[in-house]
Amino acid sequence: MSAVGTAARSIVRRRKVQTFVIALVVLFSTLTVVIALALLVAASAPFDRAFAAQLGAHAIVTFDRAQVSGTQLEQTSGRPGTVAAGPFDAVVLEVPEDFLWRTAGPLVVVGRPGPGGPVDRLDLVSGRWATAPGEIVVNYPAGGGRPADLLGVPITATGAPTLTVVGFATSMSGSADAWVAPAQMAALHPTARQMLFRFSAASTDAQVAAGVDRATAGLPPGAITATQSYLTGKRAFAAMADSYLPIITVFGLLGLVVSVVIVGNVVSGAVVSGYRRIGVLKALGFTSRQVIAVYLAMIATPALAGCLLGAVSGALVAPAILKIAFAGIHTGTAVIAVPAWVPVLCALGMLVLVVLAALVPAVRAGRLSAARAITAGSAPRAGRGLRAQRYLAGLPIPRPVSLGLGQLVTRPGRAALTAVVIVLGVATATLSTGLTSTMVAFAGLDHGDGVPVVDVVVGSPGNQHAVPERTDKQIEELLYAVPGADTVTARALRQVRLLGHPQPIYVNFYRGDTSADAEQIVAGRMAAAPDEVVTGPSFLTQHGVAVGDRIILELGGRRVPVTITGELIGSSPEAVDATWALLDRLAPGTPAVDYTVTLTPGADAAAYARSAAAAEPGIMVAARGPGNAATTTIVTFAAVFTVLLGAVAALGVFNTVLLTTRERRRELGMLKAIGMTPRQVVTLTVTSVTALGALSGLLAIPAGIAAHRLIVDHVGVVAFPESMKAVWHAPQLAALAVAGVLIAVLGALAPARAAARLTVGEVLHTE
Amino acid sequence: MTSEEIVVSLDEVRKEFGDTTALGGVSMRIRAGEAVAVTGPSGCGKSTLLNMIAGLDRPTAGTVTVRGEDLGRLTETGLALFRRRHLGMIFQFFNLLDDLPALDNVALAGQLTGASARQSRIRALELLGELGVAARRDSYPAALSGGERQRVAVARALMNRPALLLADEPTGALDSRSGEDVMQMLLDLNHSGQTLLIVTHDPRLAARCGRIVEMTDGRVSRERTPERAA
Ligand SMILES: Nc1ncnc2c1ncn2[C@@H]1O[C@H](COP(=O)(O)OP(=O)(O)O)[C@@H](O)[C@H]1O
Ligand SMILES: [Mg+2]
Repeated sequence: MSAVGTAARSIVRRRKVQTFVIALVVLFSTLTVVIALALLVAASAPFDRAFAAQLGAHAIVTFDRAQVSGTQLEQTSGRPGTVAAGPFDAVVLEVPEDFLWRTAGPLVVVGRPGPGGPVDRLDLVSGRWATAPGEIVVNYPAGGGRPADLLGVPITATGAPTLTVVGFATSMSGSADAWVAPAQMAALHPTARQMLFRFSAASTDAQVAAGVDRATAGLPPGAITATQSYLTGKRAFAAMADSYLPIITVFGLLGLVVSVVIVGNVVSGAVVSGYRRIGVLKALGFTSRQVIAVYLAMIATPALAGCLLGAVSGALVAPAILKIAFAGIHTGTAVIAVPAWVPVLCALGMLVLVVLAALVPAVRAGRLSAARAITAGSAPRAGRGLRAQRYLAGLPIPRPVSLGLGQLVTRPGRAALTAVVIVLGVATATLSTGLTSTMVAFAGLDHGDGVPVVDVVVGSPGNQHAVPERTDKQIEELLYAVPGADTVTARALRQVRLLGHPQPIYVNFYRGDTSADAEQIVAGRMAAAPDEVVTGPSFLTQHGVAVGDRIILELGGRRVPVTITGELIGSSPEAVDATWALLDRLAPGTPAVDYTVTLTPGADAAAYARSAAAAEPGIMVAARGPGNAATTTIVTFAAVFTVLLGAVAALGVFNTVLLTTRERRRELGMLKAIGMTPRQVVTLTVTSVTALGALSGLLAIPAGIAAHRLIVDHVGVVAFPESMKAVWHAPQLAALAVAGVLIAVLGALAPARAAARLTVGEVLHTE
Repeated sequence: MTSEEIVVSLDEVRKEFGDTTALGGVSMRIRAGEAVAVTGPSGCGKSTLLNMIAGLDRPTAGTVTVRGEDLGRLTETGLALFRRRHLGMIFQFFNLLDDLPALDNVALAGQLTGASARQSRIRALELLGELGVAARRDSYPAALSGGERQRVAVARALMNRPALLLADEPTGALDSRSGEDVMQMLLDLNHSGQTLLIVTHDPRLAARCGRIVEMTDGRVSRERTPERAA
């Protein structure tokens, strides 16, 4: 082994705490960054890739058939910067019964000669394309499975001949719910014409809008009934992951910053405490470069181990988190996976970062003059802080205490480094406990503060369960009659057209006790009148509406204008909530699809579920578990990260203080030589560290609180109510502050006591 | 070896630290095979002089030539390479690397010149044996006595067969017995041809060297050759 290797290895072996801290910090930071990056990549890249592979439509424009002819539309093809497909005849059919996996409601059907073409090349997932009358191909939204066994299912729409499913296709553009052969369309009485456009520039909303304007210029005004930008679909795709991103990004950044600062601190600590060692290496004939190499090699070993382990564990953990993050999202042909380059890039990037963090103190070590390093050692520069020292000495406090405070003045650089680590540690702990508290409060929403809740789903062909004998009203009566019931809330679900938007939306209609929903309102108020709805932030942003706006819902030829009266904490980007009275206007007689039963406090939910299921075979009954899967994940995630980041921060503080104190051993021995008792030596050390810890805590806690506020205010799909943002309590904050000081004192105590116990002779001997 | 070869040559070397003049124009020559003692009261500039010769620090004025090489013309890296090949240094407080066992401390110097770890260990063990501390080969410096530490330090200094051995108060931190042992060891080395420059404030130790350079206030005040050594 080379001389550099020998010297570096000896330091690594003898500085086990330091080495371990570096490895742990790097491992954890790499893990965090891998997860954060995997989510970022998964949130956009798979959509983009699948969309590009299909030559997806940047805009889908629907025209009123009465106002514009097919020939007029054909002339829009071939305009500069535009690729067009169509016109295709289109119609919105009404399907009165649930079919396949879909609920009853509107079905957008387009007549297309085949799945290919210059725009929106559909992927035929199973079966074949519709070529003959009576055949239909249905859009299959979920990626992965091949729904071969559903081929041949008939679909009966109001006023249309029965169509048989001959294939399933996927459109990343979401251009239709189903397709038939163009010849079939006449029998379906088309009302619209569809054009699919790709533009040369389409990365922003403005560019897409400009493209549409260019492509449709010269057509009769008012001919366009709806325009759909692919950016909407892309946002919906990323919406779920977006809710995690701000939090995961913060943890990722924190991990990065903590690791860089602590590694930098640990290495510069090693350099400073090794002043004399550097002098010796140089006297032996080590060049500056070799000294730098020794210090870099010293951290390379643990850093490499940390990077590798972090990347591997990140690669193992990230897919599970992605799976939960993307559950329930129409992923189409996009594949949600962690690309191999993510952990590789993170490991390499982290390694580079750590080496850079180490380079500064290592170069400083290399430049150090050998004569100075050997003779001067790490003595403070003469005269520095002399006046402050004199002033402190005059104060009516015990001399060891004032000496301890004086050390902060004579060595401001060292004190600042220690303070940075404490501030970072306490701020991180504050922020992560705050985020965890917010997420716990959010998760707690769903299962009503310890009151047992039972979910009841009505059997239907759609969920492959026996259909009930009882009517909607009779089921509700039964649920009230089973012992233990307190309130019953019924929910009906319909797909409804939203005027001006080609994609139908879902409406939840509630009957009975809606107090649980009322808790989720963050702005405005609950829907009370028949023409009122409430919805979540992602629906509002994706449809460009706000609380107070009016939207028009249409179902089966009935149009009802409704007002958005309130904003929910969070919900699907495609759904609004309404009262049962609205259902009576849009689709009277629609039965409930499920019920939520809250039991009287203390009632046995499992027993209730058994009795209800026994009384009516046509329902599925289940006692509700705590929280929902997604919030459980993120709470677990936040909690685990809090513990780990806290531990790393604590280790960093501990390590810094340990080094500082160890470095001063000789000085402490000298103080004993002039008559200081061991107890006084400990007091002195602990004083300087306590002062530093308290000062840093005062800075760190407000910083942590501010960071928490910044994050919870900017989580896209969840609008946290004030009660969930204000998670701070005085005792908790005090505990955090005390923890910061305590960790610092713990780090100082062991070496201080060791130094205090040494006899003066030993101290001088060891030098 | 020609005993006339000049190993060290100083010409009007001055060194100032701010207002302090540590060396006020020192000229001297050291020939191969000589044992030179530099003495004088504390603060007279002995260590500074040694640092100049070792290339650990640069003079404010004047030239330092060692083995025909003008140190002023060398870069920092050049100085390091020169040091490892031609010089061995011993300090008052040993300056061993606390993190390495005795044997590895010695072997490290060999590895620096490109020798393999194995070769270096063999030579290091040989040297430790010659200096009577082979048994402590696996001990860390903290577990060694002062005398043992200085022997290890001497072994390390001899590792690359230096043209010049520099020692700054090598006995200063030792009790009189260990100090005597180390001194005798250095003189034995000189008898077998090793050129030696020892800084000491102890006139009795100085008297055992072939030539004594006395310093006061950064200048050479007197040079003499003691009876016994001559
Ligand atoms: N790095 C330094 N910075 C400032 N002054 C120094 C430095 N090194 C030595 N001196 C001063 O130079 C003078 C000579 O010091 P030194 O050579 O160490 O003396 P000696 O070794 O003879 O005791 C002293 O006055 C000392 O204070
Ligand atoms: Mg000296």
